[in-house]
Amino acid sequence: MNNRSRQYRIAGIVSLALLFCVSAATVFSGQTGTTAATDSTSVPDVKCVIGLDEFKPNTTGIITVQGDSVSFAKDKKKGEIKVTQISDIFLGNESRQDISGLGGTAVKAAIPYGGGRILSLFSHKVEVMTVEFKDANGGFHGAIFVLPEGHATALRNLLVAKGAKVTQHAEPPPPTENKQ
Amino acid sequence: MRYHDRVASLSMLAIAVSCATFLLASSVLAQPGSPAPAQAAPQKLSASAIQVERTDPPPDLVIPEDFRISTYENVLLQLEKTKKFQTVYRSGDQRAAGVKDLIILKLVPQAYTAGSQKQREVTTIKGATSITIKVQFTDRDGKVLLEKDIQGKVRFYGENLNATYDFAKKVAKVVNESF
Repeated sequence: MNNRSRQYRIAGIVSLALLFCVSAATVFSGQTGTTAATDSTSVPDVKCVIGLDEFKPNTTGIITVQGDSVSFAKDKKKGEIKVTQISDIFLGNESRQDISGLGGTAVKAAIPYGGGRILSLFSHKVEVMTVEFKDANGGFHGAIFVLPEGHATALRNLLVAKGAKVTQHAEPPPPTENKQ
Repeated sequence: MRYHDRVASLSMLAIAVSCATFLLASSVLAQPGSPAPAQAAPQKLSASAIQVERTDPPPDLVIPEDFRISTYENVLLQLEKTKKFQTVYRSGDQRAAGVKDLIILKLVPQAYTAGSQKQREVTTIKGATSITIKVQFTDRDGKVLLEKDIQGKVRFYGENLNATYDFAKKVAKVVNESF
C-alpha cells in the first residue's frame, strides 16, 4: 500500500514537472518570439515597409534568419535575401502611433472637438532595420523592416556573424519625439 | 412740318443703323473664334528603358538611410506603374549597359526636414516632414534632358516615410507629362 502511494506521488511530481516545463516553454517562446538556437532567430509582427518584390508595401509578417539567408514570410508567401548579397545594414529608432492606419485616422477624425488628438499622444517605440542588397544582375535593392523594440540589433549581429557586410556610418539624429 | 418729320425719322434711322453696326462690330471683334497661334507643345521624350541611380547627399545633409531607400524603391514602383518604359532598371543593373536609348534618372538629395507624426497629428500645424530631391533625366552621355526639384511631404496624417511616397508620385507625374 505504501509502495503504491509512493508510486502515485512520484508520478504526480513527474507529471507536474512535465506540465511546468511545457507551460514555461510556451510562455517563454511567446514572449521572445525567438528560437533557442543561436544561429537562427525569428521575430513575429514585423512590417516590411517596402523593398521585397513578393510583397506589397506595409505587409506584416515574420522575419527569420536561418542558414545563409534572411527571409520574410506571410501566409505562404516568402521573400528571401541571401546573406552574401547584403551590402549594408542600417538600424534606427522611431515611434509609431498606437492607433493608426485608415481606420484609426477615421476614428480620430470622427471624435468631436478635436478629441482625436488625444489618441495621437499614444505611441510605442519601434526599430527600423534597413537592409541593402544586390540581385544577381548587380541591381541595387533596399528593404525596410519595422520591428518591435529590442530585436533589430540581435538580428543585425546575427547577420554580420553569418557574413553580411556592414559599413560604419554616421548615425542620423534621433527622432524628436521621445515622450511616449 | 412734313420736312421736319422726314429729317427726324431719317436721323433716327441713321442713329439706329449706326448703333446696330457698332454692336455688330463689337460682338464680332469680341468673339474668341479667331484662334490664337497654338503654343508650341514641349517635345516629349521617349525611351524604351530607364535606370534609376542614387546619388549621395552633400556632406552637410544627413538623411536617414530608410528615407533614401524608401525614396528609391517608391520611385521604382511608381515608374513601373506609368508604363512609359518597357524596362525599369535598378542602379547597378548590368543589363542596362546594352540598351541604346536608355534614360538615366538621377536622384540628388537637396534638403530634408525631419518631422514628427505625433506633432503633426496633435498640433496640426507643426511637425511636417519633407524631402526635396533634384530629379535629373539624362541620356547615356550625361546630357541633361530634363531637370526639376521635387518636394515630397507629409503635413497632417501619416507616417514620416509617406513623404517619399508623395515624392515618387510627383516624379511619376513628371514622367507622364514629359514622356
